[in-house]
Amino acid sequence: MAAQTKRYAMVIDLRKCVGCNACTVSCKIENQVPEGVFRTWVKEIEKGNYPQITRFRLPRLCNHCDNAPCLAACPVQATYRAEDGTIMIDYDHCIGCKYCMAACPYDARFINPIRKTAEKCTFCYHRVKAGLLPACVTTCVGGARIFGDLNDPESLVAKLVANNPVQVLKPDMSTKPMVFYIGADQDIMGARYGDLEKGERKHG
Amino acid sequence: MDNVTYLANVTHPVQLGILIAIYFFYTGLSAGSFVLSSLGTVFGIEKYKPIAKAGVTMAIALLAIAPLHLIADLEQPGRFYTLFFRLNPTSAISYGTFLLTLYPLNSVIYLWFLMRKDFAAGANQLSGFRQKLYRFLSFGNTDLSPEALAKDAKRAKLLGTLGVPLALLVHGYTGFILANIQARALWHTGLMPLIFLMSAMVSGTGLLILVLLLSQRFFSPERSITPERKKLILDIAQLMLWFIVVDASLMVIDFIVLYYTNAAGRAAAELFLYGSHRTMFLGVEAGLGLFVPFLLLLIPRTKGSLGWISIASFLTLVGVIAMRVNFVIGGQQLPLTGNTLNPYTADPRHLMFIAVFALLELAVLYFAFRFLPVFGLPKTPSAPVNYQGQVGAK
Repeated sequence: MAAQTKRYAMVIDLRKCVGCNACTVSCKIENQVPEGVFRTWVKEIEKGNYPQITRFRLPRLCNHCDNAPCLAACPVQATYRAEDGTIMIDYDHCIGCKYCMAACPYDARFINPIRKTAEKCTFCYHRVKAGLLPACVTTCVGGARIFGDLNDPESLVAKLVANNPVQVLKPDMSTKPMVFYIGADQDIMGARYGDLEKGERKHG
Repeated sequence: MDNVTYLANVTHPVQLGILIAIYFFYTGLSAGSFVLSSLGTVFGIEKYKPIAKAGVTMAIALLAIAPLHLIADLEQPGRFYTLFFRLNPTSAISYGTFLLTLYPLNSVIYLWFLMRKDFAAGANQLSGFRQKLYRFLSFGNTDLSPEALAKDAKRAKLLGTLGVPLALLVHGYTGFILANIQARALWHTGLMPLIFLMSAMVSGTGLLILVLLLSQRFFSPERSITPERKKLILDIAQLMLWFIVVDASLMVIDFIVLYYTNAAGRAAAELFLYGSHRTMFLGVEAGLGLFVPFLLLLIPRTKGSLGWISIASFLTLVGVIAMRVNFVIGGQQLPLTGNTLNPYTADPRHLMFIAVFALLELAVLYFAFRFLPVFGLPKTPSAPVNYQGQVGAK
């Protein structure tokens, strides 16, 4: 990566997430995301057996990876990186081949059924350009979502990443995600293949 | 193991669906038949020369239709042409766009040099519609001197030599396009291009055998499968036996390695070996598509019979369609974020496109084998050789 002056990133402090889905709703409204598809959503699992049981939530969105597989996969340069590190889609040039969707290890992309192009979270680029925070950050009731410039050591995001044990999704994919989680449980971070085998064997 | 229950997640339906799988099937058929055609003209194996023209004709007919599937699968089909100039050097599709353009162009010119002699001779000898067609297709070059013919053969060899790597690249690329996706455990292996190539050889041989049987019987000047032709078809069928052996070996290696790669790899392997894809994979793809044809081509009683060989060839086609569907769709069904398989429902519009393209393909194959001099020129009606021979015998 060439030296960027800005590198926007998000920290999601799961200790503060209550799973209210206010982020999901505000994103839908802000970005006019059609029914059935999501730029951000909240996964929720229940782990353990009563009375030893806990709920875990995991808000999900595009990771705006430093090594973005979608950026490499796009055959028409419709996916591009903005000057602040955000991965963007040029809706006027996307041909809708869906190769980026196959390439994304995080299921962050979808086809907008109305616009008929690929789409995903943009870190609310239009809001950030205007000096606002992304809609999901503004609306988060627990203050679990923190957005800022990772390259600025004084920013809250940079401090949180430096001073907390943080996790990213699927680090083995070497995508270098820019969404960091504090307090994420491993059972919710990827796929649960264990369940799949059981389910598959039962039906198979 | 802790008991984990999913309370909320978003479903992520499979994106690259049946159109892409069938496109892979067509390209594979094309590449396979092209390579078979090159055995005579490029590699100089004399006995395969009679099928050279049939192989390339089939390869072109298939590749004329194959890319339509890709365009139909785009969400913005009207923008497909931007693939030619908005290039991304890290995207496999950007390279594939040019491979998919160059390969059929090269094949068409190659076929023209293989057929020029027939066009030129036909323009002189024949009458009616064929004469006009061949005169046009000879593009005014009706020189039949030995030097001119030798020049044709030389050019055809050069273009064929160029065509073999192009054919291998075109189909290797379709495997590569999947292999290059690290997110999908089933796809992400260096073996994928080779697996696609070998299954292309299997299915390409299968369809070529069927096309040869039908076209020689109904469209060739002799209107029959002569003993020499039967011998050659049986010979090609034995090649297919070896393609099946290599294809199956690659598949076995791939699945053993996949099983021990990582959690996702094991889940992918178990999905195919024990899970809901077991019937399509072990039953149709491996059983009907590889094992049964293997036996039919091995057992002395069946390997010498054109009927059984047709059945074996047809089964390889079924098996390779199943393989394309299994890998393209199955590979995306393995979840990336949840605990259930990603759902796939075929879009009825896509199924309709596939049916229309298949009919179009049959029409193209029919007209190509009916009207092009794939097996030489039709005998002039006034003096049929066979008829004269019979008269002489009386």
